[in-house]
Amino acid sequence: MIPAAVGYHRATSLEDALEALAEPDAKALAGGQSLIPVLKLRIARPSLLVDLGGLELRSIERDGDELRIGALATWKDLTSSLELDSSGLAGLADCASSIGDLQVRNRGTIGGSLAHADPASDMPAMLLALGARVETRSPDGERSLSVSELLVGPFTTALGERELITAVVLPVPPPGSGSGYASVEHPASGFPLAGAGALGRPDGTKAVAITGVGARPQLVPESGSLDDVEVYGDRFAPESYRRHLAGVVAARALEIAQVRSEGRR
Amino acid sequence: MPEPLSLVVNGEPRRLEVEGRTLLVHALRDGLGLTGTHVGCDTSQCGACTVLVDGRAVKSCTLLALQAEGTEVTTIESLAADGELHAIQRAFVEHHGLQCGYCTPGMILTVHDLLEHDHDPDEETIRRALRGNYCRCTGYQPVVESVRAAARALAT
Amino acid sequence: MSESLIGVARPRIDAPDKVTGATRYAADGYVHGLLHARLVLSTEAHARIRGVEKDAALQLDGVVAVLTAADLPVVKSGTDRAAEPLARDEVVFAGQPVALVVAESEAAAEDGVEAVVVDYEPLPAVVDLEAAMTPGAPPARLSAEEAGGDLESIHAGVDKGEDDAEEEQLSANVLDSVTRGSGDVAAALEASDAVVSGTFRTPWTYQAYIEPQVSTAWLEPNGTLVVSTSTQGSFVTQNELFRAFGLDFDKIRVIAEPLGGAFGGKFALVEPLAAGAALALRRPVRVALTRTEDFQATNPASAQITELRIGGRKDGTLTGIEARMLVDRGSNAGWGVEGITSLLVAGPYRWEAFDLRGYGIQTNRFTFGAYRAPGAPTAAFALESLVDELAEELGVDPLELRLKNALVEGDTAVSGNPVPTFGAVEVLERIREHPLWARRDSLPEGEGLGLAAGYWPGGNEPAAAVCRVDSDGILTVITSAADMSGVNSGFQVIAAEAFGMPPDRVRVVTTDTASGPYAGASGGSKVTYTVGAAVLKAAEAAREKLLAAASQELEIAPDDLEVVEGVVRAKGAPDRSITVAELSRKALRFGGRYEPIEGHGGSAQTRGAPSVAAHLSHVRVDRETGEVELLRHVIAQDVGRALNPALVEGQMRGGATQGIGWALFEELAHDEDGRLLTGSFLDYAIPVAERVPPIDTLIVEVPAPDGPFGAKGIGEAPVVAAPAAVVNAVAAATGVRMRRLPMTPPRVWAALTGTEEPS
Ligand SMILES: Cc1cc2nc3c(=O)[nH]c(=O)nc-3n(C[C@H](O)[C@H](O)[C@H](O)COP(=O)(O)OP(=O)(O)OC[C@H]3O[C@@H](n4cnc5c(N)ncnc54)[C@H](O)[C@@H]3O)c2cc1C
Ligand code: FES
Ligand code: FES
Repeated sequence: MIPAAVGYHRATSLEDALEALAEPDAKALAGGQSLIPVLKLRIARPSLLVDLGGLELRSIERDGDELRIGALATWKDLTSSLELDSSGLAGLADCASSIGDLQVRNRGTIGGSLAHADPASDMPAMLLALGARVETRSPDGERSLSVSELLVGPFTTALGERELITAVVLPVPPPGSGSGYASVEHPASGFPLAGAGALGRPDGTKAVAITGVGARPQLVPESGSLDDVEVYGDRFAPESYRRHLAGVVAARALEIAQVRSEGRR
Repeated sequence: MPEPLSLVVNGEPRRLEVEGRTLLVHALRDGLGLTGTHVGCDTSQCGACTVLVDGRAVKSCTLLALQAEGTEVTTIESLAADGELHAIQRAFVEHHGLQCGYCTPGMILTVHDLLEHDHDPDEETIRRALRGNYCRCTGYQPVVESVRAAARALAT
Repeated sequence: MSESLIGVARPRIDAPDKVTGATRYAADGYVHGLLHARLVLSTEAHARIRGVEKDAALQLDGVVAVLTAADLPVVKSGTDRAAEPLARDEVVFAGQPVALVVAESEAAAEDGVEAVVVDYEPLPAVVDLEAAMTPGAPPARLSAEEAGGDLESIHAGVDKGEDDAEEEQLSANVLDSVTRGSGDVAAALEASDAVVSGTFRTPWTYQAYIEPQVSTAWLEPNGTLVVSTSTQGSFVTQNELFRAFGLDFDKIRVIAEPLGGAFGGKFALVEPLAAGAALALRRPVRVALTRTEDFQATNPASAQITELRIGGRKDGTLTGIEARMLVDRGSNAGWGVEGITSLLVAGPYRWEAFDLRGYGIQTNRFTFGAYRAPGAPTAAFALESLVDELAEELGVDPLELRLKNALVEGDTAVSGNPVPTFGAVEVLERIREHPLWARRDSLPEGEGLGLAAGYWPGGNEPAAAVCRVDSDGILTVITSAADMSGVNSGFQVIAAEAFGMPPDRVRVVTTDTASGPYAGASGGSKVTYTVGAAVLKAAEAAREKLLAAASQELEIAPDDLEVVEGVVRAKGAPDRSITVAELSRKALRFGGRYEPIEGHGGSAQTRGAPSVAAHLSHVRVDRETGEVELLRHVIAQDVGRALNPALVEGQMRGGATQGIGWALFEELAHDEDGRLLTGSFLDYAIPVAERVPPIDTLIVEVPAPDGPFGAKGIGEAPVVAAPAAVVNAVAAATGVRMRRLPMTPPRVWAALTGTEEPS
């Protein structure tokens, strides 16, 4: 299958990209691992694709007690980054390595994944548990949103038409923390039927978030109960199963996180 | 609207005209006659179209040709140098890593990426690396054995 | 004499081309002035076509034509896919091709498809198999009814033998019913120590060859229609096109290109479209299905519902078997698997009494087609599940129960025919010796081992082949058999062995219908057995020519000559010799004195050569998630004689893996309106590398008396009982018996928790 006719512009700078996005129905293109399949199915028909591929937004850096991940960092960049080599951040690498396949991980980006807002994508749950924020740029300037502020519904974000994600920033968990990611995948698509990211801190506090089960990723309440969490069912995996599964993966992610936080990595 | 595209394919600088919507796989097959890169699905899953872009395995059906501007693309046609099969190709032949062969070029290029970064992958690593390469004929085991043999051959 | 070439593992002869990307598949050939087509597929499962609005599409850049049924020069009547490549007035499944948009590029054709508007008048869609057969059910096709079918219902006379001819009230959607019976089943079951029964469901299943169907057709200046295509059978396709378009037979030339997988699915589905468009437009046209089109518009394997009851005695004797098998044919009025599946449901066993019925029912889902061992995996799933249950009820070992009742040569099969050479006992014994079997009672919690056996009867069709030594001294084997499973590599060894040539000096060429010796379609596990037998004779005939020439050249009687490694030499005096290459050069030249070293061979096998396989599957079930993980799979198969063990093992592993797909992953599901819900690899899962375990292959050789060097067809047997083995393993691991395939995690979890199973 082949996309409908579309224009193409290779952005030379962030400013240039924002400029190009002024065209009606223009759309940013990062790794293309979500957008191109959608274009091929002709579900989306933008007028112009603004390729961000040439922009310098790919680095993964420690900045004091923050980790900054450039929007164009690929899943492969995350799985091979030395910055993630600590028990507190290990869940990020777990999560990235469970996404798609080798080829998809070579191209798919963290910024694209967040902006695509597929309710079944893996990473948002992990980022939610880690308390990440998203930095954006638009002609109106810069802003910072939490993951739950960004992801408002299935394939829907709080981003403006000419607003780009530039980085994902998260607090580096205190030493002795552990994080982990667990999921059960749909046997065909490989996307999670339910996925969970968890963070356990040395003081015993924890955060768990789930994805794949509802309209958007959700933090599991302190009580651990999923009774009030929104869960969708479909032909393949009915609601009762998915709700149960959410509990299973949440427990498994937390287990991984806690084992790591006890330093038994 | 045709647009110019220039890139290096199999070591040679190439220029061609493509549309904004043209996928890399079609530019390679239809534009350059490199039909060793196959198309097996519409949903970016089967991996039959896998090529190397700047050394990394990517699905050429999930990349616009224009996104490859200025890159170095390697397709299956150039892996054998001077008539000598590449070690991975030889391993697939000797260890029966193919039947119909439709998946094979994509498999081999994914394995090329894998072995570039992991010189001695275990069985689980190999099977995980092949998640995005569907094969309907072999049951994968001979492919796994081919990959191991290739890793051994490359190590020596 | 040199070592035999038979039984030596060697790479496929096509491997070097395939690993270098040099092989040209059917989508790869360059054709001058080629047009590309995309299909407009029906969005309705059952409807009348009121009209097709083409204008908007024709306005688009690059679109050359929008063709509907009336535009194709089809002369054949009827409703099969060659007679009706595009729906005439009535669509009978969602995904049926309604129009063809032909354009200068694939992209433009796709633009055109979007712009075509079809006006449908919806009709009731017949989607539920059981409802479809009950009297009063709406018909799945009106046109057949108008053509003379009974409006209300037909009486399918079910012949039960001499007693009562029981009659069942069935709707006109029941196209066929088959019955096989012998003895008094009711009495046999009554007198059994245990009787077990169940209803088993399997879904529509997709062949999922990785190369989508593709065909290119053009007209030569003299009017010859040439079709270069991805097909299992060139002559079959030529015949179909001959009947569809009424051209002179010799004005149709079909070239079977290297196949990117087929598994039963590639039979004259896209060729009539490409040929029809080329004939209508008088320009070359390629129909390369997208995966989405291929999912919807091709011919997957039938869904089936099987009600089965079997009995046995405490001494381990199987008594009676009673089966009622409903087979969904979709829109295929021509044939179905109700006959073969209701035969195979008796398995490789002896029964004292049996009553086996199959029904072929039309619905508004797909056109049914063949998929590796059609009807067999479903039959084995039902039977082998119950055999395990029966063993448990009777307190006998499940392997011993199977062994005790396994058919042996000379027994009478439920078909009424004598059982030919048969390896059921041998394969079961091999499984019994496998170390994994010994561990069956000592596995960790959550793990289980499952055993199952099944066979495929094999097929026959007359075939011919040519062997010729070319002037480069290479023995060229010429056949028209599409190489679906590596048969060419088998031909290479057969010819090399029979002629006396090293295999690397034998090449195999697949020719087209214009010049090739006859071969039927590749499928039914018959190519090696039939075409291979013809190659053997052709090689022997060529060898005679060789010896005649050598005899004159060396002045030695043919009987005193031998051919070793491409050299003809005097027995006992090896220095008196001449190479095959030299002789061929002397023959193939102006003024040469010898007949070309060329032989023709034919075969018409009449005896069947069934192949039987037993599987052992080792699983772990995650009780929390319902996920089934395969840890290891073992297959023991009687292959007659393994000409090239590497290829044989390839078939065994490939078949077993497709069986794993049946067991755990694959399902073409529709909504209640008959629209496909799992029409892409995003929803339809096939086994991927990380979900397939290591598969041990145990080759068992019980030579087929008529096969070349004892070889037989082996491609289908390995899939048959693989799903059943996984099902039995899941039962062993969990105590839960799954009656519906595939065993997806939500279904397994529902069964484990006793909650309602998702549909
Ligand atoms: C075969 C396959 C399997 C996959 N499996 C998984 C899986 O298991 N789990 C999973 O989570 N994902 C999966 N994915 C999706 C994959 O992770 C994508 O890479 C990711 O969702 C999108 O990243 P991208 O860079 O490719 O974005 P693109 O496809 O380029 O863009 C996606 C969307 O984001 C917008 N966008 C991109 N970058 C920015 C930015 N910086 N600022 C604002 N908007 C932006 C685009 O306009 C577009 O709307 C899979 C994809 C494929 C093809
Ligand atoms: S054709 Fe590219 S992934 Fe299937
Ligand atoms: S060898 Fe046929 S698909 Fe892999």
